[in-house]
Amino acid sequence: MGRFWRLAITVLAFLVPLAFAQEDDPIKEAEKQKKQLLEQSGVLPSDLFVEQGEQLFRTKRGPKQASLEACDFGRGPGKLEGVVGRLPRYFFDTRQVEDLDSRIRTCMIRLQGFRPEEIRRSEVVAIAFYLASLSNEQPVTITPVMPQEKRLYELGEKLFYLRAGPRDMSCATCHVSYVGRRAGVLPYSDLLKDKRVASHWPAFRYSNDQAWTMADRIRACYTVLGMPAPDFYSEPIIALTLFMNVQARGSKMDLPGFIR
Amino acid sequence: MRHFYLPILFVLLVSVSAQTGQPYITPELQQLILAGGKNYSDVLLKQAADQAMCSRYRNRLPPEVLGSFIEEQRKTIKYPADGRLMGDWKKGEAIYNTLARGNCFSCHVGSPLNIGGNVGPSLEKYGQRGTSEAVQKYTYEVIYNTWAYFPCTVMYRFGHNGLLKPEEIADVVAYLLDPASDFNTKPALKR
Repeated sequence: MGRFWRLAITVLAFLVPLAFAQEDDPIKEAEKQKKQLLEQSGVLPSDLFVEQGEQLFRTKRGPKQASLEACDFGRGPGKLEGVVGRLPRYFFDTRQVEDLDSRIRTCMIRLQGFRPEEIRRSEVVAIAFYLASLSNEQPVTITPVMPQEKRLYELGEKLFYLRAGPRDMSCATCHVSYVGRRAGVLPYSDLLKDKRVASHWPAFRYSNDQAWTMADRIRACYTVLGMPAPDFYSEPIIALTLFMNVQARGSKMDLPGFIR
Repeated sequence: MRHFYLPILFVLLVSVSAQTGQPYITPELQQLILAGGKNYSDVLLKQAADQAMCSRYRNRLPPEVLGSFIEEQRKTIKYPADGRLMGDWKKGEAIYNTLARGNCFSCHVGSPLNIGGNVGPSLEKYGQRGTSEAVQKYTYEVIYNTWAYFPCTVMYRFGHNGLLKPEEIADVVAYLLDPASDFNTKPALKR
């Protein structure tokens, strides 16, 4: 762990001066920042999360003293390549549609014997980063075929357009109606038409030094709009993720993402 | 003949339900939202009839519901007790430029204190319109309930949803219209 933290501090020291000299297209700008950071420090912060996640994944932990190596993310136990582009999907063992985060949690509970309240968010995120690294450059192939997946997709779409709260907000009010416009630093991404948007999660946000999964992104959108966020691992998050990931079908994943 | 009447009946039923404000949240969607936790569902499940309408039509109301929608929104507008629609521009400046209050600068260009966004139209030198009663009233009403003018738009309905008091809205109107206001005397910050 000592090496991890030394690296983390080195990388952070390089992050501060990077906040200058902006490109207009946020995706190009992020690519530029990523390249600069790699040249200067030789390692990306997201790589550190990947490394930490791999340790957590491979180590025998929890009351059952098991690793997560037997976890099935949809391609069979231990088959990890490309799984991020196929989630959320229906799992027969839990009889639920699960996304990346909730599936990691399920395996921590079932394989390692953790109680739900013992599961640390930071560990789930690190493991998500590790799995993301094994899906890099692979295609998003998610297709709702099971009735449970189709049902959740439709509910996710409805939820995406649902306006509520003191500011009358929904996802669509910005990410459909005002795509490319700015209220603050970044232009609103086009969640329905730009396949690059959903295919770069989980991602490291270099301006905030945060490692986020799609669940964190969704929760922050709600909070910023003055609404309470849905609980982690809850169905509204999975439904919205399913709806958005299907919009990215066919794109090549850029994982872990590196964004502003 | 039956085949001919059925579609007409359907259209009638749809238009009636649209006008009476049929809920957007089905029992199935309600179950999903409840799974998000109490704080989350408490807010989402309180969806109002007009919010439901914008959700159902994905923010583009069809002509047949537009008139009654606007009429309903207009009815909700309330004015300051003293009747003055232009208050104190200094107070309005604070509201306009504070993220957790008006947050106007995030979407509109015009403030000399913050770089404006382009989600909403530019309000640069808004005071050029003068301070006639009609201009004051229009500005006040758009801020109080923007859906009375722009149905289902993204801008918050500040008065209608209780985000700002009528007097506070009048302060923002003054910030925009008062010829002495920094909004009209100093250059707007732009990207």
